[in-house]
Amino acid sequence: MTGFDPAIGLPAALALRVGIVAATLLLWRQRRVARHVAFLGSAAASLVTGLLAADVLLAGVPLDGAGFVHEASGFRLAYAVDGLSAWFLLVLSLLGVPIALFSIGYVGYPHFRRRSVFLGVAFNLLLLAVELVFTAADAITFLCAWELMTLATAALVVTEHEERASRRAAFLYLVMSHVGTGCLIGGFMALASMSGSFSFATLLSGDAALPTARFGLFALFFLGFGVKAGIVPLHVWLPEAHPAAPTSISALMSGVLIKTGIYGIVRVCAFGLGTPPLSWGVLVVVVGGLSAVLGVLYALMQHDLKRLLAYHSIENIGIILLGLGAGMMGLAYGRSDLAAVGVAASLYHVLNHAVFKGLLFLGAGGVVTATGTRQIEQFGGLLRRMPWTGLLFLVGAVAISGLPPLNGFASEWLTFQAFLFGFRGSAEPLVHLLFPVGGAVLALTTALAAACFVKAFGISFLALPRSGAAAEARESPAVMLVPQAFLAALCVGLGLFPGLVLEVLDSVMASLPGLEPRAEMAPSGLVMTSGLESFDHVVPVMLGAALLGALAVARLLTARRRARVRRVPTWGCGGELGARTEYTATAFSKPLMMIFRAVYRPTREVEALAEVSPYFPREVRYRAEIEPTFERYAYRPLVRAVLRVAEGMKLLQAGSLHAYLAYVIAFVVCMVLLVWLRS
Amino acid sequence: MDTLLAFAAALLQAGVMLAVAPLLKTAIKKMKARLQNRKGPPILQGYYDLLKLLRKEPLRSETASWIYVAGPRVYFAAAVAATTLVPVLYAAAPLEAAGGILLLVGTLALGRFALATAALDTGSPFGGMGASRDMTIAALAEPALMLGLFASALAAGSLSLGVMVRGLLHQGLSFHPSDLLAFAGLFIIVITETGRIPVDNPATHLELTMIHEAMVLEYAGPDLALVEWASALKELLYLTLLVDLFLPAGMATSIAPVALLVGLLAWAGKIFVLAIFVTVAESTNAKLRLFRVPELVSVSLGLAFLALAIRFL
Repeated sequence: MTGFDPAIGLPAALALRVGIVAATLLLWRQRRVARHVAFLGSAAASLVTGLLAADVLLAGVPLDGAGFVHEASGFRLAYAVDGLSAWFLLVLSLLGVPIALFSIGYVGYPHFRRRSVFLGVAFNLLLLAVELVFTAADAITFLCAWELMTLATAALVVTEHEERASRRAAFLYLVMSHVGTGCLIGGFMALASMSGSFSFATLLSGDAALPTARFGLFALFFLGFGVKAGIVPLHVWLPEAHPAAPTSISALMSGVLIKTGIYGIVRVCAFGLGTPPLSWGVLVVVVGGLSAVLGVLYALMQHDLKRLLAYHSIENIGIILLGLGAGMMGLAYGRSDLAAVGVAASLYHVLNHAVFKGLLFLGAGGVVTATGTRQIEQFGGLLRRMPWTGLLFLVGAVAISGLPPLNGFASEWLTFQAFLFGFRGSAEPLVHLLFPVGGAVLALTTALAAACFVKAFGISFLALPRSGAAAEARESPAVMLVPQAFLAALCVGLGLFPGLVLEVLDSVMASLPGLEPRAEMAPSGLVMTSGLESFDHVVPVMLGAALLGALAVARLLTARRRARVRRVPTWGCGGELGARTEYTATAFSKPLMMIFRAVYRPTREVEALAEVSPYFPREVRYRAEIEPTFERYAYRPLVRAVLRVAEGMKLLQAGSLHAYLAYVIAFVVCMVLLVWLRS
Repeated sequence: MDTLLAFAAALLQAGVMLAVAPLLKTAIKKMKARLQNRKGPPILQGYYDLLKLLRKEPLRSETASWIYVAGPRVYFAAAVAATTLVPVLYAAAPLEAAGGILLLVGTLALGRFALATAALDTGSPFGGMGASRDMTIAALAEPALMLGLFASALAAGSLSLGVMVRGLLHQGLSFHPSDLLAFAGLFIIVITETGRIPVDNPATHLELTMIHEAMVLEYAGPDLALVEWASALKELLYLTLLVDLFLPAGMATSIAPVALLVGLLAWAGKIFVLAIFVTVAESTNAKLRLFRVPELVSVSLGLAFLALAIRFL
């Protein structure tokens, strides 16, 4: 169709990546050239994988091939691009291209310039690994790619290794990831021993797992992939690692890397272990709801722009899992139409979250570079200094808040459908009510997200500058703005044409067992229904037209012949209006902190320093913090227990040669006895 | 052709709603005044106020950006667009093809987002205070609103308001105890969302107790007119929504002039009764402290949940 042979697409892209890494390393002396080679090349490679994925999705024909075959033992490392892989590859490519282009400008700033070669190499290796994760067709390839992905990410998180916080974040990430990887290795090995093959085709065919072991396997995989996805309570690494990395990497981590966990959950937990029983779906919904609400609640209390965005990633992973869980419950009921709505909602949100979170992180990167700080309280008035960044950030903020007619609304609408339409298919009383409650949880989440982004955008970009750096901020160069504009356009397009997205999703769902493509969900490119048009449908374009019409009416109403706008100073209650009298981000989220104090358990210290009388303080110090519940009550005891066990091991490993020799002798004697007894 | 007709109907309905909205606001004011043994404003005062504001010179803060200008316009546009998604006189929403209650709630949320963001633009602390409180209360009200709407929608088997209304009209007068609970829950939310006592006091002059008024404190002239008009429209819209969900009887099912006239009278009567409810609630309650509002909203959430449980368990 495009004159491009999809069969060579993946090897070509991977070879291109390896070539770019080599070229970048060879050019290490010329940083400028190396930077351009690495990131332009990366954009080209992402474009190739994107084309390949689009081809697979449109043609509906999966691809496969082998990278390495050992004939004698029958061992092979293979890749395959089916509908699901292609969808995630498409997401990766839609985000990978703009991030690579953005990085050309971003890595050119003095702060990162001397690390151009490192960033270029690690970025390409990371994308290579993610591409392999999405296309691996056997457990060995998958686990190798998974590990390469983890290591490359850890290296990128610690880019600014002179900062202690970055090193700690990378360490935490490595530890958590490896616990997850351990679960995955255990799960895959158990499955492989049951089915006798490493190939996904047999491993995940659904009947490989013994019925008695199914729940154990599900738990192992859900834990393993859940760590990477950042579900609550396994999320603790995420708000540390995402902000520590350079912004373009944060965008990639939030947009795509955590989706590898979702990919795994969809591929293995939902569709790889046979028809999921009802309890799995319920578990996924509960975990999703918890992640969504806690993610956004913690995000509200963050005043570090990148940490705030990182917590919103946890929230959005929760929303994705809500849709998926509803879909899994549909599968358990044997209702392929309900399942299709839920799975479509979650996959749609995977794409949407990648697009708007990528956009928001890139915008945040521009702001952080321009001001030199990540604290929202130090920004203010940036819209005047950085008009384009502000406008594009606003588009992302509206999209992530789930407001029509942008893309966040489209996928959240579909998630609501999964719950309400699913309600009609369920029978058990308690599970029955879980559906509308899930809808209410989703409503709370989106409304809180809107509050959070009013804060994030309003405090950062509006009113007066709150610091010298914000007053002197400079707009990002075009090379950084154009990728953001592209993502903003995607936010609008994916929101206005949900039917087109669902049509593409049809071929993804055709590749998953137990789902039927639901052509009636997308009667045309503009319309989205939940399977039955009389139940509910939405046409965002129509609302967009109505909004435009109403805006024209508003303009007519306020248009006057001699309407000259007079500019006056804001009334400052009789005092000077300045940065210190503005409303702060802390104050903005204070009511929610008070209302949800059971979650936050805030502590607050007010200290008034007075010389003459306590009624005339010279200085008032205020400090408030929220309790890191999971870190304090779940992880600290765990770490302590691990350290205690390690301490106990010291008895064995005392450093005495005699003791070691004694162990060896004891071991040999035991072995001999064992052999002797058995024969 | 159908789409064009739909947009023409939408224009007509939005026009009617826009024309009636200021009247509702003044009527509530007037009834409230009567309950306090005052005379109250003349019944057309709402229109005079809007006219006065629209003719004033546009005055804007020096620190404000284009967001300040866009806020009231988007708020107004969202309210107007939302009215076209609700059946009023005729048993179908003009833009029913665009979507159901989820789209309606989303559209109103868009308007709120725009106004709250714009409130932060002048640099005045009151704008921020109002925006923060408004978004907080909206966030708490949203799940209760959704659950209340779900209770009605799931009973009707559709999330499309037109289908729900026609279903209710078709089955005639019927009553299920869950309706009462769902109505009570949604009525609390309507009070919350329209900024009435006991949640917010629309007549207050104390900045520190304001919510909605603090948010728009810096607006003047035509910008303020748009905000005021849209708020009145939103109130009318919420009351109409209650009418649609619980007692659509009398609504026109054909476009015969007589049927439409009956529909208009029935609608006006029901809105008037609801306005009396609102007035009584406002006159007999004291405004709650901000941190007591969550309790009120959780009552509504509980009622909606009970309605669902009674209906479907």
